[in-house]
Amino acid sequence: MRLRSLVLWDIRFQARYGFYFLYAVLTAIYVAILSAVPESWREKAAAILIFSDPASMGLFFMGAIVLLEKSQRTPWALAVSPVRAAEYIAAKVVSLSAISLVVAAVLTAAAGVDAGVGTGVNAGDYGGVGAGAYGSVDSCMVLLGTVLSSAVFTLLGIIIATRISSLNQFILWTVPVELVCFVPAILHLFRVGSPLADSMAANPRGPVQICMQTYTQTCTSGSSSAADAVAWLRYYPASVCMEMVSGQVPSPIGILMVMALIGVLFVAAKYCVLNMWGRMGGGKL
Amino acid sequence: MRAIRAGFLQMLVLMRRDMMLFAACLTPVLAGLGIRLGIPFLEAVLTGWFSKSAVLSPYYALIDIFFAMLSPAMFCFVPAMVSLEEADERTAAYLFVTPLGRRGYLAARFGIPAVAAFLVTAVLLPVFRLSPLSPDRILGLAAGGALQGVIIALLIVTLSSNKLEGMAITKLSSLLIFGAAVPFFIRDRAQYLMSPLPSFWIGKAVFENMPFYMLPAFALSAVWICFLLRQYLRKT
Repeated sequence: MRLRSLVLWDIRFQARYGFYFLYAVLTAIYVAILSAVPESWREKAAAILIFSDPASMGLFFMGAIVLLEKSQRTPWALAVSPVRAAEYIAAKVVSLSAISLVVAAVLTAAAGVDAGVGTGVNAGDYGGVGAGAYGSVDSCMVLLGTVLSSAVFTLLGIIIATRISSLNQFILWTVPVELVCFVPAILHLFRVGSPLADSMAANPRGPVQICMQTYTQTCTSGSSSAADAVAWLRYYPASVCMEMVSGQVPSPIGILMVMALIGVLFVAAKYCVLNMWGRMGGGKL
Repeated sequence: MRAIRAGFLQMLVLMRRDMMLFAACLTPVLAGLGIRLGIPFLEAVLTGWFSKSAVLSPYYALIDIFFAMLSPAMFCFVPAMVSLEEADERTAAYLFVTPLGRRGYLAARFGIPAVAAFLVTAVLLPVFRLSPLSPDRILGLAAGGALQGVIIALLIVTLSSNKLEGMAITKLSSLLIFGAAVPFFIRDRAQYLMSPLPSFWIGKAVFENMPFYMLPAFALSAVWICFLLRQYLRKT
């Protein structure tokens, strides 16, 4: 009951501060971009758009949300109310995921992603045990991936936001987080983490080969060792999320990794929120 | 003038405390290095992959425009965030009734950073450019970029009344710079739908190699800035 009230309150808060208007405008712009992109690029473009904006909006906005709450002394009130830190966090995750989900659904439809259509690759390519048929793209998987990504980014946003005192500090702290989350995920989307031999066999003039040739020439290192070095990307939680957002079925180990990460981040976020409430509205002097 | 200088130095202290001063100074250099070294490398990879003679190189001029807008965007975005904090904490209202005043506040927060951004861009653009740029075009791009930075900062502080709205406006207003890409990709008359954006004319001036088009860019920037300034002064 408390959680429901908190979620509704957060939704009202987000509506008042223009989140829904903002994402209506951004969605229209993204749909226009997707319609201008060549059809063969559309799925990947949609995946990057969904992962880098609606899914990660929690990371972008959480600093401002928490700082605004701090300036309005909301933590003071929350610290003396029956609301638990876990409920506060869950409400933020649910309310922001709801926006992400709607935007992702629209972008998925605009990209023409549908079950059984598309040219994506699934976990089977990497030796995983994904359930989907080779090349199948599942819009449900896109939405599930969006929700999981949104949860991860929102929790990361909460952890950072509770520890900072200004927007500039927050923005600076999110840069390394964005690099760690986005770069491997985008590399994975373009199959940089796939076994190099497969990629070369499939496309003897592929970008991976050319990159590796350049890499080999400059570093005098074997391409297979470099391929081994990036093979871990398929289990990296951000890569698993990106895989799902691009409509592919990840391996069960990958999903397990994401769930474990969400669990760890949730506990860390709870600790950070309690700490913030203690500092701002609790009994610490 | 002394009040404006003091107001600007106060902001620098805040920025230094957050390490944002360091980031704002370092980002254009890092981005410049990334562009100068990374884009030609990527072009070599992509031309090999697509078996084409050029993939990114036709857009090198566009990348130069975006680089010219990067330093001003950084230099004006950081003060905009400081201003949002000050608006939320009501310190801005106190500063307005000091000898600094509202106009002095705007000069300290956005005027000086915009001039600094112009100088930094005029120095960095010849170093990191990808396409051939004459000195007058470099100065034009640096000035256009600085004005674009001021517009973005004014949009943020004028249209938002707190940090959260500020972040939302930041997201939307940063899309304004993509007007520069329109002449490169949309060749028919539909491109003029974006003509109210100064960045569109900057893109058109570079794409069609017509420096004359910088005039509408500057004129439109002046209109945008005057309108936003009036709105801001009315709001505060």
